[in-house]
Amino acid sequence: MTAPIAFLDGPWWPYLALLLFAVIPTEMWRWLAVAFARRLDDGSPWLEWVRLVATALLAGVVAKLMLTPPGVLAEVPLFVRLAAIAVPVATVLLTNRRVMLAVVAAEAVLIGGAWWLI
Amino acid sequence: MSSAGRWQRLRPALIGFRDALMLPAWVVGLGLVGVGSLARDVGYPVEVAVLSTVLVWAGPSQVLFFASIAAGAAWSAIALAIGFASLRFLPMTIALLPLLRRPGQGVGIQILMSHYVAVTAWTEALRRLPALPPEQRPTYFLGFANALILVSALCTYAGYYLAGAVPVPVAAGLLALSPIFFMTSLTVGARGFGDGLAIFLGLALSPVASWAIGGGFDLLAGGLVGGTIAFAAQRWRRRARAGA
Repeated sequence: MTAPIAFLDGPWWPYLALLLFAVIPTEMWRWLAVAFARRLDDGSPWLEWVRLVATALLAGVVAKLMLTPPGVLAEVPLFVRLAAIAVPVATVLLTNRRVMLAVVAAEAVLIGGAWWLI
Repeated sequence: MSSAGRWQRLRPALIGFRDALMLPAWVVGLGLVGVGSLARDVGYPVEVAVLSTVLVWAGPSQVLFFASIAAGAAWSAIALAIGFASLRFLPMTIALLPLLRRPGQGVGIQILMSHYVAVTAWTEALRRLPALPPEQRPTYFLGFANALILVSALCTYAGYYLAGAVPVPVAAGLLALSPIFFMTSLTVGARGFGDGLAIFLGLALSPVASWAIGGGFDLLAGGLVGGTIAFAAQRWRRRARAGA
């Protein structure tokens, strides 16, 4: 668990942390976009690189949450957690991109596996 | 203005609100149930969980925030990773604004509208707005996007309390909702070789980076290395094809 910054700590710390380390780093890009008068070229290689880094970063978040999981998710066996990320990929590829179905299938595997094994 | 006239001006907002409730709002909301569970897991108040949905309005940023705190990452690492994961909003917003801009529109309303830019609101707006008369678009968009945020905020709240009230396997399922949802949207959004490679490398490099670096910068490092390799491989492949 990340400890609060000592001299800013208090009952409102979680709100301040959310503002400083989540709201501003996310929102600033939207504001910058408003400030940009002209449209960025969609095909620019720079944007392509940013998109691929963000994609890899998000995939990394998925792996981290499943390999070193928070809370009770850690009690679910590793192979069930890994199956729960393989199932939505397969479902999306095999069913012509059905988001809801993929999520439900993966949840069924995870909860079913957890029910069976713990 | 007559009340009938005002009603006419607000109508697109109600239509947008209704269109969002038809399905998109529930899909986004489902993705944010897990955020509530993650927030509870790190012991943050429910208000912070719901505010994260309303103010951050980006599932990946919210999950990064709560999951990184759970993992003990440095605050600077958390902010940097979130900043990088959100960079995509810059080109996305720039692409959307021309559809929403009106003559004489203030900067304030543009900043407000830009806040709603996130994956679902953006893809749906790009698809739906061109069919509407330009003067109705901002109202429709605000109605649509506010329905998304409202449903998502309720879902985040539900996720927070459900996590403590359900049997262990279901609670585990709630915590797994965010990674499952991301994996699904990454696969849905993948457009070809480079994207597929970036997803694979992101998954594969995560444990390596976490072992070699740790401290929260591992996510950023894994993303930068994986994304850059995917980028280079994609360019090389295109060039090889163009040359063949």
